This record gives sequence, structure tokens and C-alpha cells, in this order.
Amino acid sequence: MPENKFYKYSLKLRWPSVCRNRSVEILKERPDLAEQMNRFREKVSTVLKIVCRKSSYIDNNHSMSGIRIWFESGQDVYDFIIRQPEFNWEIIQELDIMNIITGQLQNFEVVYTPTGVVIA
Amino acid sequence: MKNNYVTIVGNLPISFDLHESMHIGPVIASANSNKSIKFAHATCNSETNLQDMLNSINFQGTNILVPEELFKKYVFFNEVTCLPDFPGIKTLEIDPNNCTPQSLSLMLAVYLKPKVIFLLGYDLNNPIEFTRLKSIIISNPDIRFANICSPRIKKLDELDNSFCDTYLKYQEVIDARK
Repeated sequence: MPENKFYKYSLKLRWPSVCRNRSVEILKERPDLAEQMNRFREKVSTVLKIVCRKSSYIDNNHSMSGIRIWFESGQDVYDFIIRQPEFNWEIIQELDIMNIITGQLQNFEVVYTPTGVVIA
Repeated sequence: MKNNYVTIVGNLPISFDLHESMHIGPVIASANSNKSIKFAHATCNSETNLQDMLNSINFQGTNILVPEELFKKYVFFNEVTCLPDFPGIKTLEIDPNNCTPQSLSLMLAVYLKPKVIFLLGYDLNNPIEFTRLKSIIISNPDIRFANICSPRIKKLDELDNSFCDTYLKYQEVIDARK
């Protein structure tokens, strides 16, 4: 995690369908999947550089469902969500927000509407 | 970081340089009634006020704390933060969506657990507000509450952990801790 920045927002992007829910053992046996996951991470990292005006980063902790991305700016999160069809990937419809007062992560549901994205 | 002193600016206009208050700890604004400094935190439960605050240069970099209902509408604005669940809020029958911003500021200050909370421009003339303040003071015996006003009134002096004092005394407290 880059230092001296407060990453308030976090969401998860699903792995490509063939890579989801794979155990570490399977990934060891299937280097093609691991390679695909690495390429996916690199692609996401490049897109983050294009979309985000402020800082963001991909969490290094492995998750079977997808990759967790942290954002400094809420406006960047919104851009990232609404530009989903452009990059053809799937965001898990949950937004985690770090509360600066309590230090706790709050979870909200992301709902797509014809006019944009709202939080339920 | 835990602060020993927190200052709340209530709904009433005040004649005190709030830059001085910033020397001893965070200053909490109650909605957009005061725009004299860049506050550490501000509370708000009205959409109109929130929009004004988001567009005001004075509130850039301020954590604007709003109830969850309003927070969900402004989630993508960095300055906006969801108010925590204040302990005892149900017992005190306080609705964060409809109470005054100064009550929200008071509850936020209590949540931060300082040693002393200074109340500046806090409206005690409203009987509901006054009763609510007294209840909060009684339920937080570890925190001292100082109502700063000129001329000095004695409305809170009967309680063990609260007192009223003047701006001159408040300035002396600040000067001693600068």
C-alpha cells in the first residue's frame, strides 16, 4: 500500500470466469490460469492509471473471487464502476468504505439504475 | 489520535477567533452556520446544507459527518463520512435525521472521548436542546463540558461535570496549552 494516503473506498473485481474459485493447489497445477490471472491484474492496473485522477492500488492479498482495489477518491470509484462495460469485466456489487472516525470498514450494496449507480 | 480537548461550534453566532481553538484540538462545526475556519469535522443532516458545504471552500478537507440515509446519496464525495452509531442515542430519543446539527456535533464530540468539550455558540434557550444536553452530560461523567459564553450564565453549573465560563477564560486555557 502506498504510504501517506488514505484509501477510503474499496471494491472487488471478479476474476475471469475460468479463474474463479480456484484453490492454490489447482493454480500450481495450472500455470496457464495463474498466467491469465497475472495478465488480468496487469490490465486492471493499466486501466486504473487511465481512469483514476487520484491514487489507487490493487490489494496483494489473494482472494478466490477476485481482486480488491483501493481508491483514494470517490469520484474515481464512480468512474471505474460506470466505465465497466467499456473494459468488459464484472464488479462485485459491494462497496466498502473506510470510516475515518470509527476506523471500521462499512459495506454498502451498489445498485445499477438507468440513470447511474446508487448505493442501497 | 485521541485529543484531550474538543471544541463544538453550535448554531448561534459567536465573536471569537476560532483559529485559536484549533491550537488545543479539533473544532467541530454544526452544519454551515459558521464558515470562519477550516474545521476538522462538521455535522449536517440536511441535503441543502450539505450541498452548500460541499461547494464551500471553507469545508474543503473537512470531514462532513451525515446520517446514513444522507450518506448513501453522497457516498462518492470524499469529504462526506457516515456518522457512527452513537451509544445511547435511542435512550435519549434522538433522531439523527431530524435533530439539530449542534446535537449531532455534541454526540460526535462525546464519541471522540476527550477530557473536556468546549461548547461555543451552543443554543441553550431551546428547552429540548437544553434537556438533551443535560442528559448527555449526566450520561458521560468522565467528560467535562464547558459552555463558553459572554456574559457568563449559570445554566449548567449545578451538574458535577459541567460549568459555564467566559471567552476570556477559554482564551487563557488555550494560551496555557499553546
